[in-house]
Amino acid sequence: MIQATSSDLAIELVGVTKRYRRNTAVRELSLQIPKGAAFGFIGPNGAGKTTTIRMIMGLLPMTAGQGNVLGINLNSGQDQVKRYVGYVPEQHFIYRWMRVGQVVRFCRSFYETWNDKYCSELLDLFGLDGHQKVKHLSKGMVTKLALVLALAHEPELLILDEPMAGLDPLVREEIVERVLHSICERKRTVFLSSHTLSDVRRVSDVIGIIHEGQLLTVAPTEQLVSGTKRIRAVLEEGQQPKESPEGTIWNRVQGREWLITVKDFTSNTVERLRSANPLQNIEVIDLGLEEIFKDYIRGAEVAA
Amino acid sequence: MPIDPNGPVPLYQQIADYIRQLVAAGVFRSAEALPSLRALAVQLAVNPNTVQRAYDQLEREGLVYARRGLGLFVAERGAELARNKSQEALYQTFMQAILAGKAAQLSGEKIGAIFQRALAGADVKARNQ
Repeated sequence: MIQATSSDLAIELVGVTKRYRRNTAVRELSLQIPKGAAFGFIGPNGAGKTTTIRMIMGLLPMTAGQGNVLGINLNSGQDQVKRYVGYVPEQHFIYRWMRVGQVVRFCRSFYETWNDKYCSELLDLFGLDGHQKVKHLSKGMVTKLALVLALAHEPELLILDEPMAGLDPLVREEIVERVLHSICERKRTVFLSSHTLSDVRRVSDVIGIIHEGQLLTVAPTEQLVSGTKRIRAVLEEGQQPKESPEGTIWNRVQGREWLITVKDFTSNTVERLRSANPLQNIEVIDLGLEEIFKDYIRGAEVAA
Repeated sequence: MPIDPNGPVPLYQQIADYIRQLVAAGVFRSAEALPSLRALAVQLAVNPNTVQRAYDQLEREGLVYARRGLGLFVAERGAELARNKSQEALYQTFMQAILAGKAAQLSGEKIGAIFQRALAGADVKARNQ
């Protein structure tokens, strides 16, 4: 395998840790996101997603580790990052008393690369009017405005933290479409954190699952989906499982039924399982991303 | 929306199946162009790399061919290939169902009888539509 050089990477984190007094929010997280990739970041509430994003944005200092974003060292140039990254935070910071046009002019002043034409195209596209007061906008419209502000300076990297939370399906679809457009337009890197797994799957070519500050897996989206299987085995009367297969993420015995979810499934997985355990029969079940996500989290909770 | 982002089938596979169906049904005829990568990505709301992967697969199958700078076009035998492929897909679907039956300790005869019953049921359904 060819080792990616740092210039091919939009984001590189090595052993990044964030501790608050007794609590470790992010634990030795390492991640490489190539330029042009769309990365989906999923995990339960409080898993460390926003903390990770805030460290990537240079808004939060790390306790330990190294990081590089678009060639900027996070331990020395962290103040530079936000000028080059389009960021849609979970909590919109937009000043509620301002009018849309005022917000746009205000944000424009921070970016050398601001594109007025592109900005007004996006505002039109989303039906945002410069005279509207932000406090009179719906939640969906505020999110659209946040996305316009993130894209108008034509960043190489777009980071979205739970952009779809609390939005109706139509607005969500518009947001997803716009993000996909921005991937198509140029080789823009996208980092998307969301609980809406169907949207994550549509957008991302790589997915990372985080739980209690630790990355459980990082894999190409469709490899994660097609390579993770649940095996339903029936144990012989009065027998117990002897050996879980390699790559077991989660398993549970209930009566004679033994459910095992494995990653990187091959036909060998079944053969080995059969030869190592007293089983009557084996069924292999395909899983969607939602089930896969839940089994990773359940497995990590059992292990903890 | 022909794509199911919650299901277990890889999205590129779903897109390839969808295009094959359209070609088999004559929506895209031989020598006609497929939608561009970006147009289909936005239309289906999926990452363009996913569409690329589906298109690569269709090209390898010989269903479509690339013309430099112009995109992908349906091959002369495109419709025939698409229909053959759907037979293969049907075989795989039956195979899955049969394995599920075997796991439930059903005999081959029993599974065959259930298949006949389903076939008759489908005929009734088709007549009623």
